[in-house]
Amino acid sequence: MDVQPDLDFIRYLKTAGGDTMKKCYQCATCSVVCPLSSEDNPFPRQEMIWSGWGMKDKLVADPNVFLCHQCGDCTAYCPRGAKPGDVLGAIRAYAYTALGWPTGLAKLASSAKGLPMLIAIPTVIIFVLWAISGGMLIPGAEDFKVYGYQRFFGHWDFHWLAKNVAFIDAFMLAAFGLAIVASYKGVTTMWAKMCEREGVNTDFKPSMVQMARDFVWPAVVEIVQHSRFRECGTNRNRETGHKPLMYAFGGLFIVTAWSAIANDVLGLWIPSLHGPMSVWNPVKILANVSAVAMIVGIGILWVNRSKSEAEDNITPTFYDWFLIWEIMAVAVTGLLAEIFRWAGLAAPGYIIYFIHLVTVMMLFMYMPYTKFAHLIYRTTAMTFERFRESSFVKNPLDK
Amino acid sequence: MTDEQGTSGAILVVGGGISGLTAALEAAEVGNDVFLVEKNAYFGGRVAQLNQYFPKLCPPSCGLEINFKRVKDNRRIRTYTMTSVTAVSGGPGNYAVTLETAPRYVNSNCTACGDCADACPDEIDNEFNFGMNKSKAAYLPHEMAFPRRYVINKDGLSEDGAAAVKAACKYNAVDLDMAADTKTINVASIIWATGWTPYDPTKMDNLKFNESDAIVTNMMIERMAAPGGPTDGAIIRPGDNKEPESFAFVQCAGSRDENHLEYCSYICCMATFKQMTYIRERYPEAKIYVFYIDLRTPGKYEKFREKLMQDEHSTFIKGKVAEIIPESDGSVTVVAENAVTGEKIKQKVDMAVLATGMQTTIGANGAPVTLDTDPSGFVNSNPETGVLSAGCACRAADVVTSNQSATAAALKAIQVSRRS
Repeated sequence: MDVQPDLDFIRYLKTAGGDTMKKCYQCATCSVVCPLSSEDNPFPRQEMIWSGWGMKDKLVADPNVFLCHQCGDCTAYCPRGAKPGDVLGAIRAYAYTALGWPTGLAKLASSAKGLPMLIAIPTVIIFVLWAISGGMLIPGAEDFKVYGYQRFFGHWDFHWLAKNVAFIDAFMLAAFGLAIVASYKGVTTMWAKMCEREGVNTDFKPSMVQMARDFVWPAVVEIVQHSRFRECGTNRNRETGHKPLMYAFGGLFIVTAWSAIANDVLGLWIPSLHGPMSVWNPVKILANVSAVAMIVGIGILWVNRSKSEAEDNITPTFYDWFLIWEIMAVAVTGLLAEIFRWAGLAAPGYIIYFIHLVTVMMLFMYMPYTKFAHLIYRTTAMTFERFRESSFVKNPLDK
Repeated sequence: MTDEQGTSGAILVVGGGISGLTAALEAAEVGNDVFLVEKNAYFGGRVAQLNQYFPKLCPPSCGLEINFKRVKDNRRIRTYTMTSVTAVSGGPGNYAVTLETAPRYVNSNCTACGDCADACPDEIDNEFNFGMNKSKAAYLPHEMAFPRRYVINKDGLSEDGAAAVKAACKYNAVDLDMAADTKTINVASIIWATGWTPYDPTKMDNLKFNESDAIVTNMMIERMAAPGGPTDGAIIRPGDNKEPESFAFVQCAGSRDENHLEYCSYICCMATFKQMTYIRERYPEAKIYVFYIDLRTPGKYEKFREKLMQDEHSTFIKGKVAEIIPESDGSVTVVAENAVTGEKIKQKVDMAVLATGMQTTIGANGAPVTLDTDPSGFVNSNPETGVLSAGCACRAADVVTSNQSATAAALKAIQVSRRS
């Protein structure tokens, strides 16, 4: 076999938490103790040697890399301290960058060096828009009480589109749209590569409905139920943190959707839907519960990771910590903004709200390139895992 | 030769296994005074527990007997069994060493007639056989024990038992009031030949040693295969005495693993090939599966490996067993990934043999006095201080290498004695 090691890839893995991979001596303990590794597709032993040899093309299209939930059992039992769990995390970080579009933005989001720029981009955009909007005025106590942050970008009398909504949509929808396009490109590229690697005959393709019903939906159900996390031995606590966090995102998605409909559609006819919601409004309750769940969830993950790092079971990386900080920042600024509103403190409230907008935009915009991308790529891998076992790929008559 | 060493030029050898015996004899036979102390009630150490040793597959009596004879014939060697070192003070050329001898409860009148054991109603776990059978509380440690004298385990003896044992002895050799004895000796140098202990298999929680009788260690196989062993030479499954039709050898069980023993134990690959011959003698058709990371049979042992790998009923799988599942029918399933084919293998076998590694006795039990050891508990040999090490106290090794290192240690010890 002619192996051309990609040295840059190896160097990248070493900086992204995979610095231990060369200690591996291929005993395959990891593939046996891994609770998620299957009979037909054991991992991560093969992935360890491929990364040691710099075979990145094999790894970017390897569903096993994304099926890994970093339980840590492999790392705990590894006789050499090669930390396969961390190495697979580093491969994922590489894959998100490699699959990312536009490439420049993906690269920027891949290391701590890009962090100042990552923060600067949304900060400048929102600041400039805030300046253009002319809404850069701290409201009086009365107005703050009535409108909350709903006139952050000012107010105009055009009934069909509030000024605030127009400005927020301008950058949030842009960021969101970019993430959607990038995700679509990344996922389709990954799918094509996985099919090629598996030797899938592309003449047999499921319809959209079949795809959604037979492969995507069961994967999503499994993800929501967290059944794989429950298989984990060493880092069992990750489920405790990940579950409330994921549900919090679900809750806040509903809240955001409702707010958009209530304010921007129904609000056109029912003006009372504008303005801050009562604390007892069911949607507001959901929002607050979700915010707390988010802080609790990410807090648990934060503490677990710090503890594992202190015990040297896991290598600290920018890739892992960026998402933890990011989500914590979104949740804390969101909750603080609400608290300042209750307290009637407009000036600190407006500053916090500004930061909140920045963090939310960062979350959306960088989703496809940061660890948050596991949302799309792991789902894709879990879908592919089902797909490759189906009769679209395997001829049932061949058995 | 002039006596340059004076009275303080003696050498202390700690441990009376094959390395300690060799070091003591090499030093004594060129004229040095030697104290040879052994913690067990008998000399011979781990070698005495083997059925055969490789590569010639001789019984241990082959090497031990001649050494015992040399020790007996050499007036320069003073031997102490059931004795441990408890303190060391002084410096090179002039160490004061405190020895503590545990009570044997049998004095030198003993003729090893065995009447006490016949009369004794109490039984204890036979440690020599890794608890696979019982012995009487008054016992000879093993068939070829040297010194040939009985031992009494007083904790295992009931009141009636004590009376019966005492009454049975015609030579007035039973002394149940014997107390521990402490003495201090002066020596020029010390050779640590404290040897090794089989690594505790219960520490590998994924190998489930305590959860199935079908999981045994390689040292247990040695005792089963030995003619005087707990099964009189039969390799059968403890518990139900089934004659196994299939075996799995789990290599590197605890070795080359930084969670356990971080070094290669050197002998386990050869031990497995040797034990394959035991199995073939008894079960010509039995299936044997050997799961390994690498097969390490250095030098002339390669030939032994090549021969055994021709065995048509044996399969060699590159992949470490990382899980053993006890089955309800008494067998076990071993799980590994074949690193050559990339498949996960689940092999059900009647018996799984853990090729457990060598832990230094000092690493397992702690050092009795402050010693210069590496993190694994191997004693660093230092000719400057006159504190030396030999055999498996020095590194994981086979018998041949142990004897070489014992000779080397003896030479260095002699030099320290002559220097002072």
